[in-house]
Amino acid sequence: MSLSEKDVFARLKENAFHVLGLRPSCTRMEVEREGQKLLAMLELGLSEAAHYDTPVGRMPRTAELVRASMATLRDPTTRLQHALWAQLPPGTPAAQVPAKEEPASWPEAPVRLGWRRPG
Amino acid sequence: MATPLYVGIDLGTTNSTAAAFDGEKLTLIRNAQGANLTPSVVRIDARGAVTVGDRARRLIDSDPQNTRSEFKRLMGTSQALEFAAAKLSKKPEELAAEVLKSLRKDVEQQLGVAPTCAVISVPALFELPQSAATSEAARLAGFSRVELIQEPVASALAAGWSANDEGSWLVYDLGGGTFDVSLLETRDGLLRVVGHDGDNFLGGRDFDQAIVDEVLAELLRTQGVDIRRADPRHATALRKLKRAVEEAKIELSRTDELPLLVPGAFETDNGPVDVDVVLTRARVEAACAPLVQRSINVCLRLLAAHGLEPSQLGKVVLVGGPTAMPFLRSQVQAALGAPFATDLDPMTLVAQGAALYAASSGLDGRPAASSAQPAPSGRKVWLQYPAMSSDLSPHVVGRLVEGDSGPKPALVRLVRADGGWSSPDSPLSAEGAFVLSVELVPRKPNTFRLEGMGADGKPVPLAPASFTIVQGLTLSDPPLSRSIGVALANNAVRVYFERGAPLPARRTFRQRTVEAVAKGSTGNVLRIPIVQGELEWAHLCRLVGALEIRGDQLKASLPADAEVELTLELDRGGRLSARALVPALGQVFEQVAQLQVPDATPESLQEGLTAARERLSMLRSSAFRRGAPGVVASLSQADQALAEIERDVEAARGGDADAGQKARRGLLDLDAQLEQAEAGLRWPELEETVREELAVASSWVAQFGSPAEQTLLDEAMKACERARAGRQQVELQRHLRSVRKLGNAAFYRHPSAWEWQFDSASSRVSEASDVSKAEELVQRGRRALEQQRREELRHVVEQLWRLLPEDAQERRLAHDSGVR
Ligand SMILES: Nc1ncnc2c1ncn2[C@@H]1O[C@H](COP(=O)(O)OP(=O)(O)OP(=O)(O)O)[C@@H](O)[C@H]1O
Ligand SMILES: [Mg+2]
Repeated sequence: MSLSEKDVFARLKENAFHVLGLRPSCTRMEVEREGQKLLAMLELGLSEAAHYDTPVGRMPRTAELVRASMATLRDPTTRLQHALWAQLPPGTPAAQVPAKEEPASWPEAPVRLGWRRPG
Repeated sequence: MATPLYVGIDLGTTNSTAAAFDGEKLTLIRNAQGANLTPSVVRIDARGAVTVGDRARRLIDSDPQNTRSEFKRLMGTSQALEFAAAKLSKKPEELAAEVLKSLRKDVEQQLGVAPTCAVISVPALFELPQSAATSEAARLAGFSRVELIQEPVASALAAGWSANDEGSWLVYDLGGGTFDVSLLETRDGLLRVVGHDGDNFLGGRDFDQAIVDEVLAELLRTQGVDIRRADPRHATALRKLKRAVEEAKIELSRTDELPLLVPGAFETDNGPVDVDVVLTRARVEAACAPLVQRSINVCLRLLAAHGLEPSQLGKVVLVGGPTAMPFLRSQVQAALGAPFATDLDPMTLVAQGAALYAASSGLDGRPAASSAQPAPSGRKVWLQYPAMSSDLSPHVVGRLVEGDSGPKPALVRLVRADGGWSSPDSPLSAEGAFVLSVELVPRKPNTFRLEGMGADGKPVPLAPASFTIVQGLTLSDPPLSRSIGVALANNAVRVYFERGAPLPARRTFRQRTVEAVAKGSTGNVLRIPIVQGELEWAHLCRLVGALEIRGDQLKASLPADAEVELTLELDRGGRLSARALVPALGQVFEQVAQLQVPDATPESLQEGLTAARERLSMLRSSAFRRGAPGVVASLSQADQALAEIERDVEAARGGDADAGQKARRGLLDLDAQLEQAEAGLRWPELEETVREELAVASSWVAQFGSPAEQTLLDEAMKACERARAGRQQVELQRHLRSVRKLGNAAFYRHPSAWEWQFDSASSRVSEASDVSKAEELVQRGRRALEQQRREELRHVVEQLWRLLPEDAQERRLAHDSGVR
């Protein structure tokens, strides 16, 4: 799997709406209420709260993830980003690659993109 | 004690205050003198007897050798404070502990119970070691549990508790030594800290200092007497003058003019010199106005960082002693426009908020709070519910404790004690659990009975039989005020927690060692520096601790490029712990060395000062050469900062440790400022880079990106444009990073991407730390390329990257980091 696919995958599997099991149209109060409930259930080790579903499969749910997701959805800008991903599950990246017309090779691309080495 | 005891303490630089909350009303704690404010002053006499508060404060002038104040500013440093007569030296946290002990006793006097836990407030911009020292002080004072809350959050909580306004507002807290400003938002009863900013070294005492400087300038003008702060001979007299000035300043909040007379204040070579000047309100204002302006600039910066205009603020809450000054109020009002929140006490608001926070974190201070109720009998249930909730129908979750004997209920139900509501009877799940939503009466403590019934319909006693939820404001998890990360050997920062991340938080990343650490050698150390700050380069962030793995702790030698799994963890109060797992050895290392604010010796400060001066003059000449008037103007600010640091270094040389710390911080800030100015000179280049990178990224994303990535890129490009138009460099670079990320993601979907990376890495083979291994990799890479095995090629490139060296100088800058 390429780096980029990992990225897309991460965006979907850690999407705050998926983690909290809420729809992108939910209210702020619902975020708090649902988050508080999930944290309580996780604290008591209830199996019902132990996983959540995403378009790329079932993921383990942790208290940290729930808290981070609540924070994400409280902030209007980060909420917007997550709403985009929750609404637009992208097709697999491979399917998007144009099959024939490959762009011309561009050796300085990495430098232009600010790529030196992963830091 | 029937009602809960939630205790909050404002441990101030100048004054400390305690408040208690019982779920319904707030009570301010009075000390033995009947006052709400206890001066944060500690005196230890020859017999070792400790006096705290006003009685100690009155002896500051006459007995400075045995009386200490303002130790809050030294929290987290190793600076010990001497008590001459008792021949003792005490660390700042030990002195803070004395103040806390005294407040704890006052609570006991007034309410009959010595609290076992409390919430203590700290400035929002406290660095990690300073918070750690505060927790330690609480422990020394006999609190078995303590949580920290940021002062502005506490003020906000108290202000929000008594008002019902929705919208954005600002808490402006100018204390004795620190300035904090926070932008908050209340919506649906949920209080959210949008962001904060501040200056750890701006406060009432800087006003005093400014007035003292003004008085000294007059002495020079009228009598030709030059009194230097660095001269240890004048230390006592200066202290006395400062005290007199402070009193006059406070008095001048009410009168227009005041004589300041200190006969024979200074000893000089030509005999004693009197201080005899008339302080007018206008003069004090003129001396302090620039300081107030500094605080206003911080407010405006905070608003700008969140895209707000002052006109969008609903109100401003004033906190702290200096906000009593009429001129300050009008200057702040003029700049921010929003009305001040009235009928809040600026001096005790923080303590009140801390007490409310104790309630919302369920920190009941009654000794063995549970045993205060009748010994629980019945089947034990593990309950989870919010101690304080803005939501009128929060959830209560419960589960039978396993292994407990006694009859098991089949159904449970919750009944509100006022009889106004009860839940339906609900069966327990297979795990013996229930999830119920309850209804709260607004603004009240709501007590619920937990009732169980057997299959036969008979009651089954449960423990606990009841619990209480206070309906009020909910504070979302406190956000981290500054990003925290690990300095990497290339002087970059791997951010573990972004500013604003909710606490508590834990994060693990995999790092790699830059070089080998030999087993058994103590001199051989793997150093993992932990830094705090927003700037891109490690050396511009504050070093707050370091995890060190010494050769003599290792079971076997650690090769270069070994994997280290590093976990950083922060609790709600911002206390940091770190843990490094070395999978190859199966060893775990946990102790964080040096969780301390670095010492500021006059020598090291002088060095820093000289370097900053050189850098400034170089910058200025190149700004002139390039004809960049904006940058030249910004350098005059740096000039002022430099002058102030010079004064502080001088005072540090005269023995003032606090001034030394202030100078250290000042130098760091100045460095950052110069960095900005340098970047300002490079602004045209940056704009050019941004243009190119945007073009490149959008072409990659257009070809290989998903629709969602395209949407995100459009957002990021808009954000870049906004930052560019507003000339906000840090912002621009931040958004540029997300553009780059998106571009990168798309780039690597290009079939030849790894081939290009391979070409560039193999051209540097001669620099590799292990050349023969690198050459082997290059061979492997060539084969992979011929056979079109892309995964393999990528693997080779990543391994090659890790063999290429880090620059030694960058590594030094990065606090000697041994990881990447
Ligand atoms: N009426 C007044 N007019 C002007 N200044 C005042 C007045 N009353 C107190 N001050 C100043 O306020 C400062 C103390 O303020 P405060 O008690 O809020 O600080 P603190 O909480 O101890 O400090 P910090 O919050 O920085 O730890 C002192 O510098 C004092 O001189
Ligand atoms: Mg204060």
